[in-house]
Amino acid sequence: MKEELAKRIVESLKDAGINFVTYLPETRLSQIVPLIRDDPGMELIAAASEQEAVTIAAGATLGGKQAAVYMENTGIYVSSYSLLAVGKQLGVPILLIVGYLGGVGDQRNSFLYATIGNHTIPVLQGLGIEHTLLEDGDRLEVKIGDAVRAANALRGPFALLFAGEFSL
Amino acid sequence: MIRYECLELLAAKMTDQLVVTSQSGQRIEWSHLSKHQGNLLVGMMGCAIGVGMGLALALPHRKVIVFDSDGSVLLSLFNLPTLGNLQPKNLTIYVFDNGVYSGSRISYPTATAGSTDLEAMAKAAGIKNAHTVRDIADFKEKGVDALAGNELAFFVCKVEESLMHREIPRPNTDLAENKYTFARYLERTEKKTIPFIGRG
Repeated sequence: MKEELAKRIVESLKDAGINFVTYLPETRLSQIVPLIRDDPGMELIAAASEQEAVTIAAGATLGGKQAAVYMENTGIYVSSYSLLAVGKQLGVPILLIVGYLGGVGDQRNSFLYATIGNHTIPVLQGLGIEHTLLEDGDRLEVKIGDAVRAANALRGPFALLFAGEFSL
Repeated sequence: MIRYECLELLAAKMTDQLVVTSQSGQRIEWSHLSKHQGNLLVGMMGCAIGVGMGLALALPHRKVIVFDSDGSVLLSLFNLPTLGNLQPKNLTIYVFDNGVYSGSRISYPTATAGSTDLEAMAKAAGIKNAHTVRDIADFKEKGVDALAGNELAFFVCKVEESLMHREIPRPNTDLAENKYTFARYLERTEKKTIPFIGRG
């Protein structure tokens, strides 16, 4: 994605109060990682598994942080147990920043990812996790702010799925 | 060594520590021994170390304790390299390893009853301060003393299978109720607002 979009994502996360990010990087959105790492107002924690990334973010939220997890959508499948056990059952808001590989709007879609993308939204719906699909920078700041507010109001995970311009 | 005896020794030392308990018999035993508002019940296996790590990172000046089981650690082995690299100094983890699938009521042996050594795995992942304790005197000397330490500690506590948790009253606290009690306790003691708590 264009560097300007990466900067807008990170600025929007900060404006929405996000100050703690756990992550496993992927190809589409990874430009946000050095921007978060270099921001003194945000803590960046590398995890070994998306399942772990969700639990660390949940603990940080319970400790007073406003936490997010950055992952590929394959991580939704990997972390579904933690999303249910901690995110939903315990009721802990966590913003999920998801590179939406293999969806129709993924500009680098291929036979490798299409099945992964095809099942992502039904799995989120099955978990009872709301989402917003972002395919361009239109009203990006508003959509990220809305997602954080919704996660807090719902007391659970909320997913932002990035495709389209973000996948170039 | 019996898990309840270990928990009794630790309960006597509790002041303002934050205690995260995983799903297993120790959750019931700890709830029986401690009514402290800094206790956080995590309702499922395999999540408590991650939650404890997040708490320890968010509140680096507070002591965070995790009570976990061999089954939970085997479910979440990815925690070991992350702990080994982050080394949160304020985190102490007690893994009560009875070596059986105790909760299943069949008590068949787990990997740790065989050739799997959790202490060696933790050390290989970078957790230098990992120990196995096998009797209550050793637990008292190493495990209890670690509460006063300022270094990531990981104790594999080899315990006999005990069904005491089926004989004492189960906690009657709902998970959501416990979460809010815990968060309100943190708000009071940390003098800060927890963002997700509703404010009317």
